Amino acid sequence: MSVVDTIEPVDRKDFVPGVRGTDKPPGKGDLAMALVFILPAAIGFLVFYVYPFIRGFYFSLTRYNLLGTPHFIGLDNFTKLFQDKLFWNALLVTVEYVLINIVFQTILAVAIAVLMHRLTQSTVIRGLILLPFLISNVIAALVWFWLLDYQIGLVNGFIAAIGFDKIPFFGDAAWAIPTIAMVNVWRHMGYTALLVFAGLQMIPGYVYEAASVDGSTEWQSFWRITLPLLRPILALVLVITVTGSFQVFDTVAVTTQGGPGNASRVMQYYIYQKGFTEGQFGYASALSVILFIILATVALIQLRLLRAGESDLA
Amino acid sequence: MATTTAPSRSAGVADTPVKTGGKINAGRVAAWAAMIILILITLFPFYWMIRTAFSTSKSLFSDPNSLLPVDFTWGAFKRVFGLATPAEAQAEGGSGAAVNFWLFLRNSIVYATLSTAGQVFFSALAAYAFARLRWPGRDKVFFLFLTALMIPPIFVMLPNFILIKNLGLINTFPGLILPYFFMTPFAIFFLRQFFLGINKEIEEAAKLDGAGHWLIFFRIILPMSWAPIITLFILTFINQWNDYFWPLLVGANDKVRVLTVALGVFKSQTPQGSPDWAGLMAAVLVAAIPILILFFAFAKKIVNSIGFSGVK
Amino acid sequence: MARMRKKLGAALIGVAALSLTLTACGGGGGSEGGGGSEGSAIDTSNASGDVNYWLWDANQQPAYQACADKFKQANPNINVKITQYGWNDYWSKLTNGFVAGDAPDVFTDHLSKYPEFITQEQLVPLDDTLTKDGFNVNQYQEGLADLWKGQDAKRYGLPKDFDTIAIFYNKKLLADAGVKEADLQNLQWNPQDGGTYEKLIAHLTVDQSGKRGDESGFDKSKVKVYGLGLDGGSGAGNGQTQWSMYTGSNNWTHTDKNPWGTHYNYDQPAFQDTIKWFASLIEKGYVPSVAAVTGQGQSSIFAAGKYALTTDGSWNIGSYYGSKGIETGVAPLPAGPSGKRASMYNGLADSIWVGSKNKPAAAKWVEFLGSPDCQNIVGEKAVVFPAIPAATDKAEAAFKAKGVDVTSFLVNVKDKTTFLFPITDHASEIEGIMHPAMDDVLSGKAPATSLSDANNQVNQLFG
Repeated sequence: MSVVDTIEPVDRKDFVPGVRGTDKPPGKGDLAMALVFILPAAIGFLVFYVYPFIRGFYFSLTRYNLLGTPHFIGLDNFTKLFQDKLFWNALLVTVEYVLINIVFQTILAVAIAVLMHRLTQSTVIRGLILLPFLISNVIAALVWFWLLDYQIGLVNGFIAAIGFDKIPFFGDAAWAIPTIAMVNVWRHMGYTALLVFAGLQMIPGYVYEAASVDGSTEWQSFWRITLPLLRPILALVLVITVTGSFQVFDTVAVTTQGGPGNASRVMQYYIYQKGFTEGQFGYASALSVILFIILATVALIQLRLLRAGESDLA
Repeated sequence: MATTTAPSRSAGVADTPVKTGGKINAGRVAAWAAMIILILITLFPFYWMIRTAFSTSKSLFSDPNSLLPVDFTWGAFKRVFGLATPAEAQAEGGSGAAVNFWLFLRNSIVYATLSTAGQVFFSALAAYAFARLRWPGRDKVFFLFLTALMIPPIFVMLPNFILIKNLGLINTFPGLILPYFFMTPFAIFFLRQFFLGINKEIEEAAKLDGAGHWLIFFRIILPMSWAPIITLFILTFINQWNDYFWPLLVGANDKVRVLTVALGVFKSQTPQGSPDWAGLMAAVLVAAIPILILFFAFAKKIVNSIGFSGVK
Repeated sequence: MARMRKKLGAALIGVAALSLTLTACGGGGGSEGGGGSEGSAIDTSNASGDVNYWLWDANQQPAYQACADKFKQANPNINVKITQYGWNDYWSKLTNGFVAGDAPDVFTDHLSKYPEFITQEQLVPLDDTLTKDGFNVNQYQEGLADLWKGQDAKRYGLPKDFDTIAIFYNKKLLADAGVKEADLQNLQWNPQDGGTYEKLIAHLTVDQSGKRGDESGFDKSKVKVYGLGLDGGSGAGNGQTQWSMYTGSNNWTHTDKNPWGTHYNYDQPAFQDTIKWFASLIEKGYVPSVAAVTGQGQSSIFAAGKYALTTDGSWNIGSYYGSKGIETGVAPLPAGPSGKRASMYNGLADSIWVGSKNKPAAAKWVEFLGSPDCQNIVGEKAVVFPAIPAATDKAEAAFKAKGVDVTSFLVNVKDKTTFLFPITDHASEIEGIMHPAMDDVLSGKAPATSLSDANNQVNQLFG
């Protein structure tokens, strides 16, 4: 008869001292406690997210102009969607935007975070890096719209002064999306860097000390230790930034409004145009449902690939 | 046998960069050069905003590439603080609309602080449940909460607006704060990832001592997570501070109008009109100051955050 | 503590559930307020209470506040509260307000938006009320009041003001080119060689090395000053400030009839030849490209001294004056093959929301806004041209006092060389088709004949 059997309370039944994880029984476990912890968030979630979503999903099956009554039309919006070349255009344009935006933003953010971590303790520098995030998307877009203006913008003034041809950053179909992407990189890299930085803070120093005792260089430490231990945070950063990126709207609304032609008519802008400007709210809802499915799938893949539910630190 | 969770300063990497013997090597120089370039690119538009804020709107385009203010004036700031007469404002290119600055500042502070505080707290509770408690379906429910990130804004704005209106909370602070008060998917996700990284041994030791989940949460997890929580608070505060469209919809009345909405008078008023650039830039800079103060007040805490070595 | 949290939780769920049911009933049907009342006159005799009034132009707000103050003197029981939102926010707030039941009682309405509002049954027809109150609907500039009659022939707004198009010019750039201001009074254009108009524009265009557009050696890739500016882009389907003055003076109209046409004419040679000619101006370097003008507005570039001439609307007069170092003049539009000039003619009106809870006071306010008492006040502030002729004259005098000569704008009204802004259904979808199509043509990516294709798509919308 093992000592274990006589131990109360019930949830200690499988406890084996020294073996991690055996103190938690399978099955119900902390369910009651969890419900309490989650309750306020769950209320917010249900009322302000789930309900509008269900309502929106219903609208995707209707023809509705916001002010009349919705007419149920089944899956017609969805069949129309798959034949809509502007939908595919929006998807393509958005994916192009996401790729440029995420690649640059993530690399720069990690670089900044590591630089901040290793080079300097200065709060001032940390504050400076975060500055772009302090102004709203719309203002950032307005300022860059002026700085990059073809005729009277400073950047083109400089380019012309050193002898090159001016670049229509927002007016040329090939430049529009990359420009918008980089404006958003400018705005978000500090914020993303701060997230990564917070993750760097959680890595205990002894890990680095041990590595350096073993002769690891900074570069090696970064790849072998920092990056892997940053996994949960990097997963967070990637899911958040990719999801946010797919939903880009403000910058486009302020600068190109989908143009030139349809070169920057991203998904969210197309949805807004259809829903509010053209009064086809049912169709816009269907577009939104598709976008939602895409985002959820992408996030799921990311979370699985990055094993975001685990952490090597714990 | 109590486990101390006393901070171990020597373990905090934040304190000292790993020494390379104090030599200046190429890598270090390159790193600093990269840092400086990044800072310059980050900052230049702000210099531009400051330069424009001190210019006269009507003169701006006479010298569009000048790096110095064009026709230096304090007029824009006067307009922002509501100190300019309509005649003065219009002479310089402003619209002459009145701005009751201090009232709107107060409203912004109330809105941003309350919604952020609620959001961070309730999300922390939920994040703990997702990270540290074990219950069936936990990860699936977490993913469900996460998908709220992907819900299109057009789905959410209008129903929430109608809901707040039906509750009779239009033009009140509760009405403004409610949708943001309980959670955002980002906050839960963020904190959950950090809570996952907390060393399990500390918790187990506390459990051995008979501590329940409440105690563990408030006495152990929260204090250990100071850095991410402050970070989340600041980031959320910034988002709430800069929120424009929702307060525009729900809080147009002066007594709840927030700064961002009020300073919309500096944007262009007519189709294809240009904004009152000087006023707009001044407005943005002034609106950013409270956040900067907040950041610098807490930045030291983040910088000097405690390194966690866990069990002694 | 846990138990208390549970109680609070239950209460919150209760509130949430209650609000869900309320929302289910209340949302999605904005017509609970008036249900598109069938022509019953509103009794304004005992009007009292609050009236919420929205407008978007902050420059006009002081004028309308003065109107409200005067109105209050005559109607002490009615309290008009004016709120201003910038153009972009205005329509979002209005639409959201319609849906949520929170819209203002009276609001400034725009010709491009009001057809959709009529379809959505958000506007109150005013005819019976106006008749009952003996209101004179014929006191406005010719044609304006009819713009606001829906397809059902009911009146949905009373005209406030109107605008026309003219040419703004930079006096110094003209002087530098040896051009006298009087030379601009009788310009002619045609689709073949552009006439005296194109000659002028070419002469006013200057490249980086100082060569003018009509001199040999002119480098169109290095233009310093454009003879004529371009307002923001191709102008999509209506080209109000971009090309409508040329098509309109080439015996062409946008639609078969206006208002409420159902067939667009973008396939006609008169239109396509004009656009082809206009695109040639861009190609020759006299007018900036569509890509180049995606950015700051036309008046800003003008203020930077980069445009010698621009075609723009009277609502923008304020943006062209007061800029440092720029002296501005106004000239009339060029005449075209039709023998006359042609200016697009647009107007704003005030409409009453169908869900207003105080229709009597709202109607009284609308009548006041449409009456000489208010329009004279607005005219004297010199921001817009009010719709009542006497008030227009006051505006003209007030502008003159500020140093702005608006004769060139008003000459279109006097000479009857105006044509209406096209009013049809499906305005936003048409914009969605024509915007990229026109962009492509003016950028040289597609020939003007491609617009026949776009025209087919547009006309298909009308079934």
